[in-house]
Amino acid sequence: MFKVEDLKFKYPNNKEDVIRGINFEIKEGEIFGFLGPSGAGKSTTQKILIKILEDFRGKISYNGIDITEYGNEFYEEIGVSFEMPIHFSKMTCMENINFFLQLYKNNADCEALLKRVGLWEDRDKMVGEFSKGMKIRLNIVRALLNEPKMLFLDEPTNGLDPTNAMILKDMIKEFRKDGGTVFITSHIMSDIDQLCDRVAFIVEGQIKEIDTPRNLKIRYGNRTLKLEYKEDGKSVLKEFPMDDIGKNDEFLTLLQTKEVETIHSGETTLEDIFIKVTGVSLKDESE
Amino acid sequence: MNLNRLWVLVKGELSRLNKYNVTSISILIAIMWSIILFFVDEVALASLLPLILMLDATLMSVMYIGSVMFFEKSESTISTMLVTPSTSSELVLSKVLANTIHNIFSSALIIIAFFFIKHVEFNWFLIFLGIFAATAFHTIAGLYLAYFQKNFTGMLVNIMILAFVLLIPTALYEIGILTADFWKYLLLINPIQAAAEVIGGAFTGYVFTYVYYISLGYMIIGGLLVYRLLVLPKFHDYAIKQSGV
Ligand SMILES: Nc1ncnc2c1ncn2[C@@H]1O[C@H](COP(=O)(O)OP(=O)(O)O)[C@@H](O)[C@H]1O
Ligand SMILES: [Mg+2]
Repeated sequence: MFKVEDLKFKYPNNKEDVIRGINFEIKEGEIFGFLGPSGAGKSTTQKILIKILEDFRGKISYNGIDITEYGNEFYEEIGVSFEMPIHFSKMTCMENINFFLQLYKNNADCEALLKRVGLWEDRDKMVGEFSKGMKIRLNIVRALLNEPKMLFLDEPTNGLDPTNAMILKDMIKEFRKDGGTVFITSHIMSDIDQLCDRVAFIVEGQIKEIDTPRNLKIRYGNRTLKLEYKEDGKSVLKEFPMDDIGKNDEFLTLLQTKEVETIHSGETTLEDIFIKVTGVSLKDESE
Repeated sequence: MNLNRLWVLVKGELSRLNKYNVTSISILIAIMWSIILFFVDEVALASLLPLILMLDATLMSVMYIGSVMFFEKSESTISTMLVTPSTSSELVLSKVLANTIHNIFSSALIIIAFFFIKHVEFNWFLIFLGIFAATAFHTIAGLYLAYFQKNFTGMLVNIMILAFVLLIPTALYEIGILTADFWKYLLLINPIQAAAEVIGGAFTGYVFTYVYYISLGYMIIGGLLVYRLLVLPKFHDYAIKQSGV
């Protein structure tokens, strides 16, 4: 759907490029995760893709056509949620929605959307009185107003409580199920780990790795099996390599002779892999 | 340009002017002016009424559009507008139209009050034309000036300075303190003076000379040129800067 080739970008008041030659493709119907620490260039990339930042170098095409050739009809097909929730604070939730609705040809069922994110009851409240979480949820509704084919979500889970983050992720999955394509950024790996069909790791304006989370885990994960068992009244933990586990005598003997407490396969998290691939830790970025 | 969408945007701007209390403020100011004018005598009224209408169409227009741009900046809503199908020209034109309509409305309040209370005589067509031309020009100019303002207080100070430089000679000329021909020619390039002429033309006793026509042309053609050559081309850059990008 989107194809990005050798994209470079420099802010007018900066000396150096913040995006330094990236290549990737967003395929129709997938959730594409753009992961990296703060300042990596995630928001900048999103703003370039949605034609807000214009002076980029490289080539970006949407459905095979250079994005610079699209006029404003481009926005009929895409929905955008910025990093900061943005609304008219002295208008009610519904007034905000109705205003934006009128700007589009396609109109989604807003009542259903608002009910889904739990804002229907608050639709006549001033948005200025909304909590941060409510504003974020309204932001998502706003992005979906025009029944877009493609969604851009910049750190949508940032600032949401676990319940609402879950609702949001379900909505994103449903959006994909109905044929939608999603570009989503996050600096918290675990947040969208299970959501994305493919992820790109971006650090300092460069993409270090792109693949499905599953492949990444296979490629970078150390596949081990952790066995916890009782011995002389104490718990003992042993780790075994996953390969040829069925022929591992020590493991099989333990299974047959000891009282097993837990067995876990050693799933490596995306976050571990991110650190392995990029050498950059995300932990200190989490807040 | 999609006229349907333009209309939606104009309505949106107008309803926000109302929601953000700009409308109440302008009605309040109109009432205040009306009260002041109510207590002056016939002779003073004849020169004060055009002066106040001129102030309303010029400095107040610059101030209102400036405030609107700052409200918008403080909410970063412009970035959301940029990702809707609305084009830059629709976004800019809707602001110019909404603010012009809005400010004409407050001028109309003053005019109507005086038409009924003091039975002041004027030409309805010319007063509308004059106020429209002056308000539209100053709204457009104010929009352009707003592009360069860093903060709200700074903007107010700059408007004060502008007012001082432009208004004092015009006011002195209007009241009759500056009489030399030299001023008459110099003031031709002063937009506030031009506004005074096009509004003054609606009142009985105004002597039409080339000055009136030059002023009217200045407001209308000048407004179009500033819009087309300065305001519109710079809007996208301005909008992106405002949106924190
Ligand atoms: N308007 C701007 N002007 C100059 N530099 C900017 C601007 N916005 C962002 N940057 C810089 O560009 C880099 C990437 O920023 P951004 O895309 O916001 O990162 P991320 O979204 O991954 O946290 C950062 O170093 C940031 O400081
Ligand atoms: Mg960001």
